[in-house]
Amino acid sequence: MGLRQVVTEPIRYGFAVGRVRVLEGRMLSGATYERLLDAPSFAEQIRVLSDTPYGTFLEGASTVEDVERAFDQALGELYRFLESANLPGPVIAFFRTPYDYANLKARLKADLYGQSVDGLLVDLGAVPAEVFAGPIGSLPKRFRAIAERAGDAGAADEESVSLEVDRALHAESLAHAAASRSRFLEGLAALQVDLANVRTLLRARVRERKNADARAMLIEGGTLSADALMRLYRLPVPELASALASGPGPLRGVDPDELADLARFDVIADDVQVRYLKRARRAAAGPEPVIGYVMARKAEVMMVRTLLIGMLSGVPEAVLRRRLRERYE
Amino acid sequence: MNEVVLGMSGTTWALLGAAFAAIGGGIGSAIGITTISNTAAGIVTEDADKFGRVLPLAAMPGTQGIYGLITAILVLSFFGFLGDTVPTISADTGVKIFLGCLPVAAVCLFSAIYQGMTAVGAAGMVARRSEDAGKALIFPALVETYAVFALIATIIILSRIAALYPVG
Repeated sequence: MGLRQVVTEPIRYGFAVGRVRVLEGRMLSGATYERLLDAPSFAEQIRVLSDTPYGTFLEGASTVEDVERAFDQALGELYRFLESANLPGPVIAFFRTPYDYANLKARLKADLYGQSVDGLLVDLGAVPAEVFAGPIGSLPKRFRAIAERAGDAGAADEESVSLEVDRALHAESLAHAAASRSRFLEGLAALQVDLANVRTLLRARVRERKNADARAMLIEGGTLSADALMRLYRLPVPELASALASGPGPLRGVDPDELADLARFDVIADDVQVRYLKRARRAAAGPEPVIGYVMARKAEVMMVRTLLIGMLSGVPEAVLRRRLRERYE
Repeated sequence: MNEVVLGMSGTTWALLGAAFAAIGGGIGSAIGITTISNTAAGIVTEDADKFGRVLPLAAMPGTQGIYGLITAILVLSFFGFLGDTVPTISADTGVKIFLGCLPVAAVCLFSAIYQGMTAVGAAGMVARRSEDAGKALIFPALVETYAVFALIATIIILSRIAALYPVG
């Protein structure tokens, strides 16, 4: 870091970093997660969360819809903080963009099955959610192009919709990360591509897809090249998982047996991402602590949402416990 | 004895040294305090009770500005600038005075900036654990050591110049 950066970055991001240092201390502790898991009822879970930042949003919640709404509000507050943190535009776009693509995916899948998209959209993206409920022709150009490509690839295929949307999302995330000039964010975007590719590869291997089909599904821009991944594709799933867990990529060191279990992949991927984000806590200044905190709060919201909705849906505690991710601490 | 060095008289060199010390320390302190104050303001925004614990950290890079001012006053005092007439200082002596001011000018400029950076990290400690406020002060204080050493060096150099090369 040059002297100019030493001087300007702490001044530019100092206020947000100061707030983040306090807010990190208000993130849920391991003991709170244990109490949520051990709670005998949903009402008890709400009581446990009453003194946390989620307490006000969850007041009076009693249904899955209430919980979803409460956590969307909590995320909305998180993104308002992000907007006020004086971060560069591409960094904010990096966080907002996934919601736009999630809305696009929801819209295209709803169209596929002839369903209404009402209730499936989340208003946390850069584009207002209601835009995705309107005609495809009125979508922003880049989303319209994706919708057309997905249609060309076979509109009756949910997988092709997901692939087209995810490919575009990662391309845009990589572009935002590059524009932000934050190496940390660039690394995060590349890691997300790697994790998406490994998931695709494992899923394709389990389904015994042809090499060419699997290759076509991989996304460029990660630290693991598509060619390197395809060299592993000939291996059976357990050996493929072992190779990934012992190779040079971001999955080095994970349990290969868990990696081979596709049902566990999301948990493992989130843990790998949290381990990357923890580097941000070691940075005294700059955008990294803010980025790390926002990603960690997103993960926290997802975990608490899982525990509450799991309780409402009667999911056993042991199953919920296995869904818990590594915490940002 | 040279009348001028690089076109400047001894008096000008001496005043330039005093000005450099005051400017270097002042700029460094201003940047250092701005750096830590932004973070401290963010911490206090979320937890007003921490004001008293982060204030010493925010004030710490301010000392380099004081060292620069002390150096400038010493030059003015040791070499007769506080009298009614302008002192006569040879160019060689003026350059020596200028060089004597450089430890404070340079070290205080950079140490205040880096002390502000260190204080940001220390403020992060205080934000997480208020009870660590005492420990947190130690790390930026270590940076202060070198500004103090520079001030001591400058004082010794200036006092020896004043003793060995008395001005008229």
